[in-house]
Amino acid sequence: MLVSANSTLGTYPACPPKSWHKKERKLFSELLQAYEQKQLSKGRKIADQILKKQPQHGETMCMKGLVMVHLGEREAGISLIKDGMRKDLQSHICWHVWALVQKGEHNYEEALKSYTMALKIDKDNFNIIRETSILQTHTRQFDVLLESRIHMLRLRPYSRVHWVGVALAYKLVGNTAEARRYLDHMEGFLRNVPPRDIEYGELVFFHVRVLEELGEFQEALTLLDKKAKDRMLVDRPAIAECRGEEEWTEAAEQSWTELIDQNPDNQDYYKGFLANAGIDLDSLTDESRTKALGILEEFSSRHPKTNTYRRLALKIAEGDKFKELVKPYIERALEKGIPSIFSDVKNLYTDPTKLQSIQDIVEDIRLSVSPKDQAQPSTSGDPTYYLWTLYFLAQHYSSLGRYEKALEILHSAMEHTPTLPELYMTKARVLKRAGDPYGAVRAMEEARKLDGQDRYVNTKSGKYRLRAGMINEADEVLTLFTKKGVPANIDLLDMQALHYLTEVGDAHRRLKGYPLALKTYYAIQKLFHNFREEQYDFHLYSLRRSMLGSYVAMLGWEDDLHSHPAYIHAAVWTARIWILLYDDPSIIKSLHPPGNASSQKGESRHRFLRFRVYHITIRFIVRAKQNEDKGLEAPPGKDDDPEGLKLVSADDPLEQASKVLGSLGELGKDNIEVNATMFDVAIRQKKYLKATRELRRAHARDPHHPEVHVRIVQLARTVASVSDVPEPVKSVLEASVAELKPAEVSLEVFNSQYLQRHSLSASGILASAKVSQMLDTPREEVENLLFTTLTDGVQLRLEDALEILSYLSTIQSPRADEFRIACDARFTLSKVFKGDEEQAVLRRQCIDPRDESEVETVF
Amino acid sequence: MNIRLARIEDLQGMQACNLHNLPENYTMKYYLYHAMTWPSLSYVAEDHKGRIVGYILAKMEETEESQDGSPPSEPPHGHVTSISVLRPYRRLGLAKKLMLQSQEAMATNYNAAYVSLHVRKSNRAALSLYRDTLGFTVKSIEEKYYADGEDAYAMQLTFP
Repeated sequence: MLVSANSTLGTYPACPPKSWHKKERKLFSELLQAYEQKQLSKGRKIADQILKKQPQHGETMCMKGLVMVHLGEREAGISLIKDGMRKDLQSHICWHVWALVQKGEHNYEEALKSYTMALKIDKDNFNIIRETSILQTHTRQFDVLLESRIHMLRLRPYSRVHWVGVALAYKLVGNTAEARRYLDHMEGFLRNVPPRDIEYGELVFFHVRVLEELGEFQEALTLLDKKAKDRMLVDRPAIAECRGEEEWTEAAEQSWTELIDQNPDNQDYYKGFLANAGIDLDSLTDESRTKALGILEEFSSRHPKTNTYRRLALKIAEGDKFKELVKPYIERALEKGIPSIFSDVKNLYTDPTKLQSIQDIVEDIRLSVSPKDQAQPSTSGDPTYYLWTLYFLAQHYSSLGRYEKALEILHSAMEHTPTLPELYMTKARVLKRAGDPYGAVRAMEEARKLDGQDRYVNTKSGKYRLRAGMINEADEVLTLFTKKGVPANIDLLDMQALHYLTEVGDAHRRLKGYPLALKTYYAIQKLFHNFREEQYDFHLYSLRRSMLGSYVAMLGWEDDLHSHPAYIHAAVWTARIWILLYDDPSIIKSLHPPGNASSQKGESRHRFLRFRVYHITIRFIVRAKQNEDKGLEAPPGKDDDPEGLKLVSADDPLEQASKVLGSLGELGKDNIEVNATMFDVAIRQKKYLKATRELRRAHARDPHHPEVHVRIVQLARTVASVSDVPEPVKSVLEASVAELKPAEVSLEVFNSQYLQRHSLSASGILASAKVSQMLDTPREEVENLLFTTLTDGVQLRLEDALEILSYLSTIQSPRADEFRIACDARFTLSKVFKGDEEQAVLRRQCIDPRDESEVETVF
Repeated sequence: MNIRLARIEDLQGMQACNLHNLPENYTMKYYLYHAMTWPSLSYVAEDHKGRIVGYILAKMEETEESQDGSPPSEPPHGHVTSISVLRPYRRLGLAKKLMLQSQEAMATNYNAAYVSLHVRKSNRAALSLYRDTLGFTVKSIEEKYYADGEDAYAMQLTFP
């Protein structure tokens, strides 16, 4: 099992002063021993005994404090430890105790400093060096980690794990050649490893990968073959994958064939096979296309039940060949009633001719299998064939934005078979896309009632309720599957349900419930922080087991966590809310209405979510803890701000925004939304160089992006008007602006050029309108411009329309309602353009409260 | 659908898939624990966009190593911690394919004699998959195995 994060002090030589009585010295070593065995009450008694005689003994004070922390007297214990340290700064025990406390608070940098102090005093203390090396790995200080590992090897050269430790450290600092030297050396002296030893096998794979990385393919292969022959390596797919990748020969073909036989559903293996045959799937010629299809066809006799190579062939084939292949592929799936066939082929739609072929084929199937006469069952076979054909077509037309047609098909499918939840789920999805979140909730609810035992439908039902702004109602339905005895939102937070938290945050935000939106977005960021913490125990664990391949991958994954889309989403919205609160502080005031909070729109209907702020329980580690031992972990902080009102009242919103965005990983920073938000923060902070840098980054990705256009003008105007910028900086800014917008072109002309180029795109028109507004164009003109998005030929998506509507109300346009009503007529199925009151009624009506009692214990 | 060995980057997708499907959920650390300890036993099914639509999370049962070096009393065996497939991707036989890949690795890499798993007594669909499609047999009933008090069937499949 996992080792406990708590290390012990027991192996330390006790070093009380010489002046002590023998008895006291004995007592002190008993104290250390008691601590190691976690006999806490006993330890405390012994410490008291010593302190009676030696009240000023720092190490005993620290030990007693440490015991007290374990016993749950955290504050008093820590204060005693601090006193003890002041008495004896020269004791490695004192520093070690302090490091343990810091570690318990997850303050790894400080813990590392304390260990370093301890090592200055007792430089060859192996336990401390080991703890130090863990913290150095955790905080990614690989250079000093290497020193620690070499030190450990010098102290204990006869143990394999310390050789592995040095090799790994070299790998982590990027000195692969030196890592290899250590691995080669180990290969020379390791004796008597039993065959099939998994841990040794993992080490060999690591060695092979290191050789590959150095370009020593032949040596890698030799090692692999030797170890496989000696039955040191048993992981056949892993061996064959290494081989397949390295060779370029018949032997490699053999490896790929073996892999395909072992797992015929792995696409990569077919790609590997094809690549080995000299076929580059990314740049196919007529010749290689035919060759590839020929190879793939050959697999059908070997693996008739597998679809993977057939699907790959669909991607490769074109024209008539495509039609020939796709027809039986789809027919077979519809006949068998495979629900996912549409999402399987949908990604071929990037090619419009393939889209058309598929549509023609499935429409033909519909004609051939549709019951000619309602009273007479179809003569062409199974009625479910017809049903799944309709299901396919509904999704097909929905994906093309033809929502009415999709619904019409779904309704005839429902008449045919009223009990298939998939039909209602798809209906929900169609309605959601068409702008009717309330009808979507109702349809999803019907699906849920048809299969109350299925958590998937339940999850979707919760999600759709959140999309419709029904936060309490979402929790009510989700609680049917969450842990009993705690609110659904707490269980889902404990279980790290990112999809749920993201939807909750967005729901609060859309309802302008900024305090809870922020709180939720911060809870998401906190989850990622916890993911980072969760690697801690593995630094030692994986090294001891030589499971280095997956361990090194884990370190990389941990480092990239802040580039995860869910993290980026949460961070960007956190920053945007801070900007909003900075721009309009009256929002915060309106959150504290004197006395009549319940009358507030939107918020009034929510029970406020109470998120645990700090630590999240990790359930699976069952530490065999005596009841009295509360461990060293700092207990979770109390949430004294359940409604997030204190949070939003922070007096430095821009600083907060900047901090959040600064935490994003590198990949996250390569994202226009992120760059634009960073720009927005920086320009408000008057950090013009930073703002410029972010805008240039976004510009480099897409110079015509609407968000980029608006900000170019904003920056140009700011730079032209600032007076408090010193000269060299000002020139740099001006030069940058000139790169983004030619200096001889006025802002007005720049904007009209942009409009000309994007006059058929609603988001382009909106960007241009925003700029006009910024350039003090009369409001009527801005409005007229925005209304051109309603004219024929302009591509106006529902999201664009909502954004334009929201912008019209931002500029307090009297024509906002006119625009809303026009959109309501235009998006025929939509409900999001109804008036607020009407939407409130729709929201209330979409779940019938009488039905709520019927689903209790389902599992 | 693509079926392949689970990688570290898949763990969050596996966790999300699990939360969508099953009432037994785990924190990331438990997924990491599996990936760090038995990296060859867990598999995923992914769609064209690389989204995880099904997974098997599996481990070896720890056998107590005896002090005197005599062979352990229990033969090593695999255990399926969790397996599920998102509803829209059912009927493709993904669960079976995932299970077979994991079983193969248990047998060849760890010399496992059999694989075990638990299933809720009320979960008839899963029971039928394990028994009828995959050949598991019910070994015993573990009373109140689940947090909510439901009993579990303890099932096993012996490898040839």
